[in-house]
Amino acid sequence: MIEKLSLILQKNREQLTSDFIAGNVPDFIEKHTRIFDEYFCGSFEKSPIGQEMNISKNPYAIVALGGYGRAEQSLFSDIDILLLFNKKIPAEAEKLIREIFYPLWDIGLDVAHATMTVSESVKLATTDFETMISMLDSRFVCGKSDVYSELRERLRGKTNSFQKGKLISRLINTSKERHLRFGDSSHLLEPNLKDGQGGLRDYHAILWVARIKSDLVSPRELEYNGYFSPHEFEGLTSALKYLWEIRFRLHYMAKRKCDQLYFEYQIQMAKNLSADNGDGKKPVEVFLGDLHGRMEFIKQLHLMVMAEIGYTRKSNLKGMFKGNSGGKKGLILLRDMLFFSSSEAIVQDPFLLVEIFKKSSEFKVPISAEARRIIKDFSYLIDDDFRFNPKVINAFEHVLTAPESEINGLDDMLNSGFLGSFIPEFKNIINRIQYDQYHIYPVARHSLHTVLAIKKFENRDASRYASLYHTIYRELSEKRILLWAALLHDIGKGDHGKGHSVRGAAIADKILSRMGFDTEIIDLITFLVKEHLFLIKVATRRDIDDEETSILCARKIKDIDLLKMLYLLTVADSKSTGPNAWNDWTEVLLQDLFLKVLNQLERRALTDSKRIQDLESKKKEVFSLTREKYPSWASEKDFELMSPRYLLHTSSEDIVAHMGLFAQLGKDELVMDVAKEGGADIRTVTLCARDKPGLFSKISGVFALNGLDIFDARIYTWKNKIVLDIFRVTPPKDRIFEDRKWARVKENLKSAIMGKIDLDAALKEKTSFHKGKKLPGADSSERVVVDNSSSSFFTIIEIFANNFTGLLFKITNLLYKNNLDVKVAKISTKVDQAVDVFYVRDLDGQKIDDKKRVQSLTRDIRSVIS
Amino acid sequence: MKKIEAIIKPFKLDDVKEALNEIGIQGMTITEVKGYGRQKGHKEIYRGAEYVVDFIPKIKIELVVADDMVEKVSITIEEAANTGKLGDGKIFIFPVEDAVRVRTGERGIDAI
Repeated sequence: MIEKLSLILQKNREQLTSDFIAGNVPDFIEKHTRIFDEYFCGSFEKSPIGQEMNISKNPYAIVALGGYGRAEQSLFSDIDILLLFNKKIPAEAEKLIREIFYPLWDIGLDVAHATMTVSESVKLATTDFETMISMLDSRFVCGKSDVYSELRERLRGKTNSFQKGKLISRLINTSKERHLRFGDSSHLLEPNLKDGQGGLRDYHAILWVARIKSDLVSPRELEYNGYFSPHEFEGLTSALKYLWEIRFRLHYMAKRKCDQLYFEYQIQMAKNLSADNGDGKKPVEVFLGDLHGRMEFIKQLHLMVMAEIGYTRKSNLKGMFKGNSGGKKGLILLRDMLFFSSSEAIVQDPFLLVEIFKKSSEFKVPISAEARRIIKDFSYLIDDDFRFNPKVINAFEHVLTAPESEINGLDDMLNSGFLGSFIPEFKNIINRIQYDQYHIYPVARHSLHTVLAIKKFENRDASRYASLYHTIYRELSEKRILLWAALLHDIGKGDHGKGHSVRGAAIADKILSRMGFDTEIIDLITFLVKEHLFLIKVATRRDIDDEETSILCARKIKDIDLLKMLYLLTVADSKSTGPNAWNDWTEVLLQDLFLKVLNQLERRALTDSKRIQDLESKKKEVFSLTREKYPSWASEKDFELMSPRYLLHTSSEDIVAHMGLFAQLGKDELVMDVAKEGGADIRTVTLCARDKPGLFSKISGVFALNGLDIFDARIYTWKNKIVLDIFRVTPPKDRIFEDRKWARVKENLKSAIMGKIDLDAALKEKTSFHKGKKLPGADSSERVVVDNSSSSFFTIIEIFANNFTGLLFKITNLLYKNNLDVKVAKISTKVDQAVDVFYVRDLDGQKIDDKKRVQSLTRDIRSVIS
Repeated sequence: MKKIEAIIKPFKLDDVKEALNEIGIQGMTITEVKGYGRQKGHKEIYRGAEYVVDFIPKIKIELVVADDMVEKVSITIEEAANTGKLGDGKIFIFPVEDAVRVRTGERGIDAI
């Protein structure tokens, strides 16, 4: 008999499900509940056991609990039933259970039941929190209604106001724990429809609070009892209906109870809902935006109700309105929350609409639910007069730049709709979802997260990278520039297509100009918006071990403060995007790039704007000088062979001469030019050769061998591994046959380069090779400094020594034997004092920053110079 | 079948991927990895604090190819990833015993 009922139940459910999927059942959730009700009523009426048991002697009722009690039965949700007996449980109860529930289990439904008397139920409910909560949702299905009424009456009698208070604070705590565990569904990409923040449980919690406080029976009474305005209740109803539908569909797709909206279901879900608003967004993005919007709504209502009963922490507010005679006109403080004194006050002074956020974040006091409601209702007062008002902009900036705290003023502004009204451009990115693996938050939410992430840099954090963020953040001269940029960095995402950074910069420019910011400030903010992806792109797509990369970045960014802001914005942006966009790997790359660029900017050597100008005009000049003579240098691009350092430090004439030598070099080992213009006692020797390890030491060795003292030397390397060295040396002693002498020097150089002369041995034999006479006390001027901090790419060795013939050879030979490659050298001699600077790397291109190596190198150099 | 495992510089990934596509390689697995070989880590000093990069970020590419493709693939990777500088990476080649396509159960060369 009852088996037959279960078959009807099954058939009805299948019919309902297929009608629902076809979109024909708007009230599916009630209908689904009714199908179960029908089953239980039928089984009660036709129960053979019930007749045996004699119902008048053993009155009982079938009571629905939980979701079934609330008449929100989803497709595969559990069915919770209380079999409630009046005074005692008869022996037949066991059979009754078998009769009612077994057929349901047989068709695969999850039914949980409890069998209790009224007294037992009351006792359990007063001692067990969970039971009490499930009793709150109880609903009489069939049987003897007076049994159920008695339970209600007795439960009501048992809960005095003290117990109500305790229950409510338990409820608040479980809500908090639940939110921690399941996250904020109003912006997670795989939201939990039931337990996440903004999910159905938030609504249930509201319901329970109202049931405890106001003995509320039907949800409709939430409005009548003043919990919600008609508008809010309407919004809630529609949001719930939407969530129920999604959940029902989700169960259907998953073929089981499933409340988390996993990726795999989202695209199909969006298709089934025909979520498409025809503006080019993907249906799934439209769908998620819609869902998040509704969950956000439920979340806000929940927070509002919970705030009024103490969800938020109480704070100490002494002095909040100090010096303002009993309170700023228009705002009042009640139960540790901010209220408007009256609606008229706002109409008279719309400034209160922003003032309340300012006071709230300044004194860390939450804004009351009523005030939030009023802000929404009066958003029409936010017109252009309001938006252009400097006082308003000032107050807004105050909230934007307030240190991180429990009160997040910007979040409040977004949730209450204020932000969208104040900056209308922001509306386009609220609930804007990007459906990819990287972004886990809608754009507006992500922007606020980015602001928050930056504010958090203020806090000291001992972890490895965070300490750098903290240091830099504290050094910023104007943090507000960075915070504005963070707020607006993705504002260009309201439109579709690529290039949101460029679009965003234009929109930010418009917003900030309207607000009356200075041009310099606007330029900085728009630069940050426009370039917010620059560093991360360079870090992952360019060779950051190449000095040119950091020079390029430094030239683009130009300013140390701006670089720091761009770096922090990049980090905060990536962190707020999601775990796939940010990890230790990216963090290392980005940090490495940042420090290298910073180093370039701090040294200023190659990057400041005057230098850049010089560099450009130098290139043009050389280009025009040589265009006819060396047509192979066809375009300015060919000059990229020359490093910025070379271009800056070499005169145009020298560069032209070098190009001449290079043209002569051909397949030769070496080209040499000797100029006598410098004066009778100086010869300028310019050499062009192919770079080889030890080349520099060989050249200086040959000079020493020929008795030529070096006054100074500049060593440059082109990127095609051509070396250009300029030496100023003493002329040969034999002036009459000078040219012949130079020819010999050249021959010596060639042999040395080809390894045909053992310079070390030759120099030892040469009698004239001796140390210069030391001046008294000269030792003190000897100094060797190995500097690894000035350049990210080279170890810089500075040597101060007494000059003697062959000194340079000894030093450079030592460097060569230590496998060091000299990229740049500046050699100068004043009287007897030599000051030599070498930019070196090892043969693998790495700096020498191992402590032991630095020590032994210093020791070795000291031994050859003294 | 051979498995080819290449460690390359991060910014070379696109070049390598493109070059492999051009010779008809359809799939590969990539991982963000960190480590060091002859290219040691380095440190930067800022405001007196040392920021050491001891393990350098690299990309690891893994793919399994038929024996007759091994030479071509490894040369392609080598050329595409080369900058001539230290830290360009390494390529390792291992024998692969068997492969199974999970969806169809195909084995060996058909599964790759």
